Amino acid sequence: MKLDYIAKRFGIFLLVIWLALTVIFFLPRFSTQNPIREKMNQEMLRGGYVQVGMEQMIEEYESKFGLNKPLWEQYGTYLSDMGRLDFGYSIAHYPKTVKSMLSEGLPWSIGLLGMTTLIAFGVGSLLGALLAWRRAPQVLRYLFPPLLVLSAVPFYLLGLVLIFFLAFENSWFPLFGGYSPGTVTDWLSISFWGNVLHHSFLPALSMILAGIGLWALTMRGMMVTVQGEDYMTMAEAKGLKGSTLFFRYALRNSILPQVTSLVLALGHVVGGAVLVEVVFGYPGIGTTLYHAIREFDYFVIQGIILIVIVAIALGTFLLDVAYPLLDPRITYRRA
Amino acid sequence: MNRRILAAMRYTRRNPALAVGIGLLLAILLFWGIGSIFVPFSRTSALSVPASRVPSWEFPLGTDRQGRDLLAVMIAGTSLTLRIGLIAGFIGIFIGTILGFVSAYYRGAVDTIIRGSVDVLLTVPSLLVMILVAVALKGGLTVEGMALVVSILAWVWPTRTIRAQVLTMRESGYIRVAQLSGMSSPEIIVKEMMPNLLPYLAASLVNAVAAAILASIGLEALGLGPMESPTLGMTIYWVLHYSALLHGMWWWWAPPIIIIVILFVGLFLLSTGLDELANPRVRRSV
Amino acid sequence: MKKGILWVLLSWLIVAAFVLASCGEAVPGEQEEEEEEEEEEEGLKEVSRDRTLILIWSGTEGRYVDHELWNPFSIGSNHQNGPGIFYEPLYYYSAFADEEIPWLAESYEYNSDNTELTYHLRPDVTWSDGVPFTAEDVAYTLNTLVDLGPAVRWGVDVEQFVDEAVVVNPLTVKIKFNVPAPKFHHFISYKYDIGVYMVPKHIFEGQDWTVFGHFDIAEGWPVTTSPWRLALSTPEQKVIDRVESPDEWWASKTGFADLPKVERIIYLPWVGETQTAEAVIKNEADASLDLRPHTISMCMEDNPNLISHTFHEPPYGYVDWWPISLIVNCEHDHFDNKDVRWALSYFMDRDELIDVAYGGAGTASLLPWPSYPSLDPFTEAISDLLEDYPTNEYNPGKGEKLLTDAGYTKDSEGFWVDAAGSRIRLEMLGWAIFEDIGPIISAQFRNHGIDASYASPPDASDRMDRGDFDGCLRGHGGSVAGDPYFTFRMYQSATLAVPGGHMINYYRWHNDEFDRLVDEMAITSMAEPATLKELTHDVMEIWLEELPDIQVVEWYHRIPMNTTYWTNWPTEDNMYVNGAFWHLTFGMILNELEPAQ
Repeated sequence: MKLDYIAKRFGIFLLVIWLALTVIFFLPRFSTQNPIREKMNQEMLRGGYVQVGMEQMIEEYESKFGLNKPLWEQYGTYLSDMGRLDFGYSIAHYPKTVKSMLSEGLPWSIGLLGMTTLIAFGVGSLLGALLAWRRAPQVLRYLFPPLLVLSAVPFYLLGLVLIFFLAFENSWFPLFGGYSPGTVTDWLSISFWGNVLHHSFLPALSMILAGIGLWALTMRGMMVTVQGEDYMTMAEAKGLKGSTLFFRYALRNSILPQVTSLVLALGHVVGGAVLVEVVFGYPGIGTTLYHAIREFDYFVIQGIILIVIVAIALGTFLLDVAYPLLDPRITYRRA
Repeated sequence: MNRRILAAMRYTRRNPALAVGIGLLLAILLFWGIGSIFVPFSRTSALSVPASRVPSWEFPLGTDRQGRDLLAVMIAGTSLTLRIGLIAGFIGIFIGTILGFVSAYYRGAVDTIIRGSVDVLLTVPSLLVMILVAVALKGGLTVEGMALVVSILAWVWPTRTIRAQVLTMRESGYIRVAQLSGMSSPEIIVKEMMPNLLPYLAASLVNAVAAAILASIGLEALGLGPMESPTLGMTIYWVLHYSALLHGMWWWWAPPIIIIVILFVGLFLLSTGLDELANPRVRRSV
Repeated sequence: MKKGILWVLLSWLIVAAFVLASCGEAVPGEQEEEEEEEEEEEGLKEVSRDRTLILIWSGTEGRYVDHELWNPFSIGSNHQNGPGIFYEPLYYYSAFADEEIPWLAESYEYNSDNTELTYHLRPDVTWSDGVPFTAEDVAYTLNTLVDLGPAVRWGVDVEQFVDEAVVVNPLTVKIKFNVPAPKFHHFISYKYDIGVYMVPKHIFEGQDWTVFGHFDIAEGWPVTTSPWRLALSTPEQKVIDRVESPDEWWASKTGFADLPKVERIIYLPWVGETQTAEAVIKNEADASLDLRPHTISMCMEDNPNLISHTFHEPPYGYVDWWPISLIVNCEHDHFDNKDVRWALSYFMDRDELIDVAYGGAGTASLLPWPSYPSLDPFTEAISDLLEDYPTNEYNPGKGEKLLTDAGYTKDSEGFWVDAAGSRIRLEMLGWAIFEDIGPIISAQFRNHGIDASYASPPDASDRMDRGDFDGCLRGHGGSVAGDPYFTFRMYQSATLAVPGGHMINYYRWHNDEFDRLVDEMAITSMAEPATLKELTHDVMEIWLEELPDIQVVEWYHRIPMNTTYWTNWPTEDNMYVNGAFWHLTFGMILNELEPAQ
């Protein structure tokens, strides 16, 4: 019975990935734009000179990338390539491989966004739970309005404001980048880490501030519901300690939907918060993907989205499998 | 009539979020309404006024680098951005309601297909899909075009939540009674379920509008918006493009951000308030 | 039980997060290993700031993607990003000084009918690995370009003319053309971004030029004849060091030139105007990509050590070889009528445009070639025509008369419509760099009754290539010196003088007589100025009457140059070359820079 369920969930996992991959394959190709032509024009634009024989060059590279083959043939090659995790070359940055572009940007995105999401989740959920808890210190009530405001602001605008006050007017923090330009990346050196943390402070701060509000509010909502449950009254009547009630009963029972959202959010982390990276000039995967989309760099788009999809689908799959373990009200049987 | 008003006001004491939310949105609408009477729309075009002016009596919010009166731009931009949000929000809720109802009420294969599509589409980062669509469209976007691009994914989340709602409602007593008494399915949907769902739909609509505005501002800030329209997002784009921060042109970058913040906070409070107004049991579903 | 499982799940999540994070770290770890290796073998030596030249340039969103590509013929590489100085040319050409500077070659000559070009190379030039530079390298480069054709940069340009390059002796190479090619020498000389790079045969032979990176610092690649050696190349920066002693460079060894005073060049990626402005103000950078007039004047106020080509006066820069024009699709309705095109030109107030967009720091463009010394005589030769056809005049009255005479009237909303009632709808395309002027031009046209708009969609280039536009803003990358032939070539719809693929005719304008005359210019040698001027006059008689595109402004390079550490930059009283360090003439600037401290 259990295996049945897991197998079915795994099947859905694969199906979701395949469908999303198909959407990502066809979507860019529906426009009439030709990435090779764009690339050639970019080169020309840089130099200002219209290359003689641009048409021939475009033809040459189209066949090199297999773009002149019929769509179904390309689709087949695409699926088998994705299966073998062979992402190929980037069109816009040929001969750079997609994998090398990924490896350069991914650590930054995962690092910054992963950390900020986890921090925002942790702090936000705790805060939200306390806000709903009747016996929590009253002073926390005053946090409610500012949290509301913050959660409503788009975080990249918050970022702009933070840049203005903390980096521009008052040079406490750098204006942009993952690290000072010109430093040699040396992950073993403490000073480099310090540099990285200094640079990531503002983007992280804007994302955390914007994110805390959201987590807090949804958590508060859950807590309010849970507090009204009968078993809470029973536990209180039994005379359990406040903190026990809070952590082992209320929090534990409200956390499930939050964790679902967390998994989804972490999966999206890999996609990169494009706007954060654009506003802060952060060298993550988000800007790589954004430029790839603007340049219609099919292979880069496909490679990055595959990773995003797999991350999210994997998370959902693991969660689906773990759900019944966490909440016995949800059984393995079909609903 | 008086008693109704009094009752409403007493309610707002219990539900401050609703009151403040409505208040903020009214403030924005007033700003737009009064503003558009006194400040002509023609001043939102480039070259309509001298460029790069500091705020003064003649131009309370100064002018930008291309000769637009920023006060006019803010007024026009608020209405344009709201329009995008409302169009996309309504489309999203409309489609979402239909799909959600159909999926939850009829179950079976239809449900699997719809739910599956929703899951898949939630997997793909929405901003990126919208960028792809915006980039694939030919030529320059208009405000209406922008609304349509945003509405492409606006229905996904509403479908999911409405479906969850209907699933819960389906099992409740009065629906069983209606079924037993021989009402046809469409009749049940329209006469029994809809009225109970309305407050929830209203809250979802507000959320959808907010999400649509957020998406449209994001796209515009990246430069994929209608370039000749003075929307709030385009103003942010010009601010970034011309490094207004560097030149200390606070009158250019501060007003749109303030208006956007007020707009979002207002929408958010309104949505929270409507949530409370709707059946509180509603909140337990995922 | 339940609690235990919850903790299990949480620990799965934490473990997963760590796995992901360490996956991420493993990859930079690889990079770090590479760097350690490099540092162990070469060691980034200490060079003081006052002997370092820091440039902010290029990159995508704050980092380089092409840091491993030092083969300039691969289409993914760009000589502007560093490789340019590693490949020395046979000849340099400076448009401002209007002189040719022999470099790796000592002299050249054409045969009588311009079908053969012979170069005499300089003796005693060696590559950085000790192998001598000979005619073999030149012949190999050109012949491979002929073979590879459209697969590499400059392939088709060379393939069109060159039949074969032959080694006569180690210091003499003869290039045989399949049609007369009197402008070929000018073409391969380094000027602006045009020029053919000479590569070392012993390294490039057998490599796939489309993917070959020529990058291996441990091996000493890229191999070069210049005094520059690549020390470090990562997504964050590119560090190029000069050789230590004069004996390591052929020019200083033979006394031809002095070793450059710059000991290290660091390329840093461009993030945005704000950050670059900050960097030059704080003296953390010595030069960068050009800035806007408002920005550069602000920077110079904050830091008086910063200068521009015109020092602290507008236009704060020099004229680049890229005059901007508004191209209208001459195959579309309305725009196929030359009167409409001239009306558009009369409706455009270039002074107002420059005032608003550039704060007055710019100039209008009279003709589709830049106002350079060697081209000025041609501008003068047609001054009589310019009287009848004033390309920069703002005269709405004339414009309106032209339209009414052509049968246009204004509709109820004030827009011009033709007899059939169709409006003159002008949707202009462009790139992000034109967003400063596009919306303003569009506003001007609207004020005069043309239903205009501007947009820079992501598929702008695509649409321009395919002719799917009404109007677009573009720059002309045409002639720089000698004669306006390269500019005229862009307007030809077909050519018989040059075999093979033709350039895209964006204007979609056809005129057989024009084509014929330009073909004549193609085969006229640059040593016959009188004939060239006559031909230019004939050509322009047709062109000016038709006005295939509307001239807008000249394109300026407003490059901030920091004199805190380096002086003797190219400026208006020292115009030895154009100041763009990303052009192929950067080597010339490097040889001239003097330390300030």
